[in-house]
Amino acid sequence: MRLRRLLARFQSSRRSALRSTGAAAALAASLLVLPQAPAMAQQRPLVWGDNLPATLDPHAIFDVPSQFILLNVYDGLYRYQGNPPKLVPWLAESHTTSEDGLVWEFRLRPGITFHDGSAMTAEDVVYSFRRLLAMNRAPAAAFRPVLKPEDVTAVDERTVRFVLSTPYAPFLAAVPLVAIVNPRVIQPHVQNDDWGNAWLAANEAGSGAYRIDPESYRPRNALDLERFAGHFMGWGHNQKPIDQVRVRPVLETSTRVLALLRGEIDSTDSYLPTDQVERVDRNPRTRVAKDESMRVFILRMNNAKPPFDNRDARLCFAYAFNYQGFNEVILKGLVVRNAGPNPNNLWGNPDDLQPYPFDLAKAKEHCDRARAAGAPIGREIEIHVQSELEQTVQAAQMFQADLRRVGVKLKIVPSTWATITGSTGRPESTPDMWVHWVSAYFIDPENWIGQTYDSRFHGTWKASAWYRNPQVDELLAKARIALDQAEREKLYAEATRLVVADSPDIWVYNTVNLRGLSKRVQGYSFSPVGSGGELRTMWLQD
Amino acid sequence: MARYVLRRVLLTLPALFGLILLSFVLTRVVPADPAATLAGDAATPAQLAEIRARYGLDRPLWEQAVVHVGQVLTGNLGSSIFSGRPVVEEIALRLPATLELTFAALFLSAVLGISLGLVAALNHNGPLDHLVRLLSVGGLAIASFWLAIMLQLVFSMDLDVLPLRGRIDVALGPPPHVTGLFLLDSLIAGRLDLFVDSARHLVLPAVTLCLPGLATIARFTRSGVLEALQKDFVLYARAAGYSPFRLATVYVLRNAVTVTVTQIGLLFGALISGAVAVEAIFDWPGLGTYAVQAILSADYKALLAVTLVVGVVYAVVNVVVDVVQALIDPRVAEQAL
Repeated sequence: MRLRRLLARFQSSRRSALRSTGAAAALAASLLVLPQAPAMAQQRPLVWGDNLPATLDPHAIFDVPSQFILLNVYDGLYRYQGNPPKLVPWLAESHTTSEDGLVWEFRLRPGITFHDGSAMTAEDVVYSFRRLLAMNRAPAAAFRPVLKPEDVTAVDERTVRFVLSTPYAPFLAAVPLVAIVNPRVIQPHVQNDDWGNAWLAANEAGSGAYRIDPESYRPRNALDLERFAGHFMGWGHNQKPIDQVRVRPVLETSTRVLALLRGEIDSTDSYLPTDQVERVDRNPRTRVAKDESMRVFILRMNNAKPPFDNRDARLCFAYAFNYQGFNEVILKGLVVRNAGPNPNNLWGNPDDLQPYPFDLAKAKEHCDRARAAGAPIGREIEIHVQSELEQTVQAAQMFQADLRRVGVKLKIVPSTWATITGSTGRPESTPDMWVHWVSAYFIDPENWIGQTYDSRFHGTWKASAWYRNPQVDELLAKARIALDQAEREKLYAEATRLVVADSPDIWVYNTVNLRGLSKRVQGYSFSPVGSGGELRTMWLQD
Repeated sequence: MARYVLRRVLLTLPALFGLILLSFVLTRVVPADPAATLAGDAATPAQLAEIRARYGLDRPLWEQAVVHVGQVLTGNLGSSIFSGRPVVEEIALRLPATLELTFAALFLSAVLGISLGLVAALNHNGPLDHLVRLLSVGGLAIASFWLAIMLQLVFSMDLDVLPLRGRIDVALGPPPHVTGLFLLDSLIAGRLDLFVDSARHLVLPAVTLCLPGLATIARFTRSGVLEALQKDFVLYARAAGYSPFRLATVYVLRNAVTVTVTQIGLLFGALISGAVAVEAIFDWPGLGTYAVQAILSADYKALLAVTLVVGVVYAVVNVVVDVVQALIDPRVAEQAL
């Protein structure tokens, strides 16, 4: 009773509490209806929503996001342009090769300046290659086996000479990986022999079409670029180049798509999920750029571990994957079936190469044969997927269901790129199977079949099938040093035929890059290297 | 009181030391190998070995642990294995964003949670009470990533009244850096337009993040108030003729919220960890997204530093909560000593 009376007395206080809650709600509502910041009088800058690399130092990392920095902030001696990619002279106007393929000389164009206004000389190219080799990080991997720092020299102010320790045909194809940096800007910031790596991680020393504003830089989160009017290629090709670019990566796919639809960003990354393509295409102010790239989706098998040391077991798995179901239904036909390790649209593939079909009867036949030969087909096979990349999970789930029909148990193990590649150093720690893509780092079969199936690369993640075929090793070694293009094509075609017959892995498709773009972005030009991120050709429609 | 504060501070030190050691062991027993990612595609085993040696990754785990603890104790959190930059610098760029979001969510949770809890208790078993109960169960049950996407779809895409992502409009750019808290920095710079814009960006992530906390606080406040209403001193205060508002806010609430304040301290930890998903969806450039990127690239120095910074912030907030609790109810400090 006493409590009830007391509560009655509180009714009025409750009203006052409600009043204050109401006031807070009104305040919140006013925030909703307050006008947005006044619209900018000048054109809204291009907002690029693709990912940023972990570091801005072009010699420290090599992945798809780092190509954006490489292509826009820096220049290389040669550059890939267009699709299919063509190697064109860039900082260099030409090059010569000695008959034995060991000595390469590059002649720089005259009048190239870095962003600080200083002239680029052959010594700067020498410094850049020596820095790359000394730091020995990802982009150096293609050069370390054949090039020593002291063998890069300046012949004169505009000529650089490379003397390789052994002939290496893909050398020119790999040259665009190397950004030429300005030593005069870097050297004051060198600490503990780090070649200025800590400083260059958040700054730049380039000559590229755009320069960065270091103040704006928030690692992997924000970077502002400004057009460099003095770029050596000039701007005659583009009447209305974009002066200001804001790179604002969006981490979550759903947010990235919504941000594009809403006009908060002008570009997504180039791997838009296939189920979002229609939605983006339907929106009146956005579109999807679809370009066949060179990036092969692959299910790896550890050939050093039973049952995959048995060819019939591997063939059983190759026939049990529902390629059409995955490519046409799950990925809505926005990929291209790929028969072997090299992308379809690259040279060096045999003309008559046939992809494995989905055929469960054949799969069963091979599995039975493998079982009869003592291969432990019945054991639980683990497939490691990259959890953050949904397609790897979808492929494994579909495969799991189909393999069950031929009596194979597949266990899906969620993992990450770093964890999986950390385990591929030894055959026993390498997963039974795993799923990934092989991207276009440089346009040469060496980037695909060469580094993936030559046993000299065992211990690297690319060679994690632990495939060993002396005949293939020999063909690939020959192709690596042959200087005649026709001969190389023949050698790679032969090696590809052998590898596909051995079925060391399961090659599923070649990627069609899907980039959501705002329709105001014009002049977008795609190349498999850089995935269309080169800004110098773009302009904005009002 | 000073002794009480000192005691609370000293008690957190062993906990932090344990955190340093445990987080190191947990991060390093995962088989991820940063050297493999660093060296790139075609690196030979010899190159990998060289990189492992350069970063000390080839030494026994206990030796790496000793080196790590030694570095941390001297204030050196190391450099990101990828960017090569000191992780302290990278975290300093990210921490203010997380703090702004977390404190905004904490503020909303506390103000709304306490108000709703009070209203519910005063309306015991009435319709408002049921409504608040429904809200608290819902608030705890709804997954934040789902709520975040729903709020984006409704308020950004359909109604178009709030921004979808980020901390500030790209064309405006951030206010001049002072504290890194955009609301505060825009006021310091005297830029009302930036203040409004950052507040608008803060609304959806803060509302998403605050909901579970709000529900918890509302429930604790409600039960605390109901209990306090039964006490004799409330009857006495009423008899002494205090106004109902004063009675509710000063006499009842002050006695009821000590438990709630403890909850706020604990909530802070939940908010910071909950911020990982919320930051990712709203593209909020805080520590959560940084930690996710560090995990994906096996950048263990960055990951360890984030763990430690969050641990320190959590410890500091809890010391502050303990002190606030002692200020509200001095008996707490007396009992502790």
